[in-house]
Amino acid sequence: MAIAARFMGKIVSLFVMLYRRNLKFRLGFTIILILLTLGFLSFFSPTNTRTWYVAPRDRPPSLEYPFGTSSMGRDLFWELCASIRNSLTIAFVTAMIASHIGLFLGFIAGIRGGIIDRVLMFLTDTFIIIPGLPLLMVVTTVLKRYLTIPFLGMLISIVSWPWPSRQVRSMVLSLRERTFIHTARLSGMSTSKVILQELMPYVLGWHLVNFTNTILFSIGTESGLAILGLSILDDNTLGVMIYWALNWGYALFRGIWWWLATPVVTLVLTFVSFYLVSMGINEYVHRLVR
Amino acid sequence: MIRGSKQVLKYIAERTIVYVATIFSGVTLTYLIVKAMPVDAVENILFGMISSVGAVYDPESVILLRKNLYEIFGIGGSPIESYLIFIRRVFTFDFGPSTIAYPTPASEIVFKRLPWTVGLLLASTLITWTTGNLLGVIAGYFRDRKFARVLEGIAITLYPIPYYIMALILIFLFAYLLRIFPLGGGLSIIPEKFDLQLVLNIIWHSLLPAASLILPGALGWSFLSSRTLTMQTLTEDYTRYAEVRGLPGSHILRRYVLRNILLPQTTVLALSLGGIFGGALLTEIIFAYPGVGSIAYRAIFSGDIYTLMAVLFLSMIGVATGTYLLDLLYPLIDPRVRYR
Repeated sequence: MAIAARFMGKIVSLFVMLYRRNLKFRLGFTIILILLTLGFLSFFSPTNTRTWYVAPRDRPPSLEYPFGTSSMGRDLFWELCASIRNSLTIAFVTAMIASHIGLFLGFIAGIRGGIIDRVLMFLTDTFIIIPGLPLLMVVTTVLKRYLTIPFLGMLISIVSWPWPSRQVRSMVLSLRERTFIHTARLSGMSTSKVILQELMPYVLGWHLVNFTNTILFSIGTESGLAILGLSILDDNTLGVMIYWALNWGYALFRGIWWWLATPVVTLVLTFVSFYLVSMGINEYVHRLVR
Repeated sequence: MIRGSKQVLKYIAERTIVYVATIFSGVTLTYLIVKAMPVDAVENILFGMISSVGAVYDPESVILLRKNLYEIFGIGGSPIESYLIFIRRVFTFDFGPSTIAYPTPASEIVFKRLPWTVGLLLASTLITWTTGNLLGVIAGYFRDRKFARVLEGIAITLYPIPYYIMALILIFLFAYLLRIFPLGGGLSIIPEKFDLQLVLNIIWHSLLPAASLILPGALGWSFLSSRTLTMQTLTEDYTRYAEVRGLPGSHILRRYVLRNILLPQTTVLALSLGGIFGGALLTEIIFAYPGVGSIAYRAIFSGDIYTLMAVLFLSMIGVATGTYLLDLLYPLIDPRVRYR
């Protein structure tokens, strides 16, 4: 626990430093904060964003309805807030699970080497060659009735752990041969201590980059599934908003562009902001390794 | 020398075993998951028959029919039995009959659509790779110019956008707002003979799908990575030395920079070429493009497991073969890497 708290402290101070110095990070993080605020607002939503026909239909953006209303009779502003909250929850669950499985397996494979490394990398390669989206499509079809927001995040992590795992492994492999690791080992440090005290500080930056990239991947995958009608269609996520606008509302044919534009623009903003943050951390990590 | 070639042989043998084993376990894993799908093709067919208006069937004959259908499709029997049948079919590349287009073999359906997907993805992958790398090198070389900064800004915006969101944006701009391009489909005329008009029509229809794949790729990953690599190469000592020697800029760019960044970029090209059989599922569906991805989509919803497995198998083979060939050939391209 104490160690986890120490790493959290490190991450916070890293973020503060990057926010001050790195323009990309600052820009991305600011947009993320705005998105988080919108997501948080959804707890105070005056309408139920999952029911139909609570607002007038097909109203263009106005003072009363800042993003307009959909043909389903929903106020798009509040639907958007709920969608942001749910999409970010899915992404966060995926990132928490997948990037940490990747971290764990990558560490074991890299440190132990030999047969354990081979078996783990064989497993990783198997998952890498299986096409992710079709696999998830099948899995979500099978489990359609049991899907909830966090569960969907868990499912997406099935296909998102292999790349982080390979990344961490190659990091560990290159670090393992450095002098300070040998010194630590020869001075009688246990393996877990070597990992936590000597290797982790170096891998932490990469881990954060993997974490943000997994968030991106997860949001993208969820919206992809949703466009195919395989997400949780009676709840609000950014992808589900697109699904209804395209497949039920025919928003483009009927000229209700704000219905489609709201989730699409938000998605683009989300992708760009998380990518900027990941770039900012990446630039810092590269300087550290050199 | 002899010892060296022995090592190479051992390396190749090892890689081949891993290659085959990876595909085998990938196929098995997907088969198990696909098998768990609740959509049952046989029950769907029977339901369609029984529920059609005016149809009266003898219950016993329906039960018999069901048994026969299960046998024909090879779905019945014990799980291990049907798995063994399936594996035998995979290695002869005969996946059994498609259940919704019975008795057409699943592999025939897939191969019929394959040229569409491969054509679209091959063209867009190659265009992405060439333009992305060229632009990246130029932007890296003239990094302080204004256009380089503008390109970087565009790239940072485009790169993280998934291709299907890009597809939606393109449809919105070009098919809805400007009404230049068709909304979808593979071609809008009935092909009578293979002539120039048909080819042009096909290309016209595939422009938007291709653009949705090229834009995030060419201005995204290829551009950003080759730009970073160029800037790294430019700070190396040998490039500095070439500058000091007074070599012209174009010479440095061609002989020193381009050569060095081609190595890592070839890796990426090989990997993405391995991915072209899988298709860009969502782009195909959004644009109603008649490729392999649309088949996979239809197969999932109708429980057509053999067709689905044929598509998945093809894409797994593609990715695995790409990595495999790369592992074998990389030491030839880059002498610094040794066979381990």
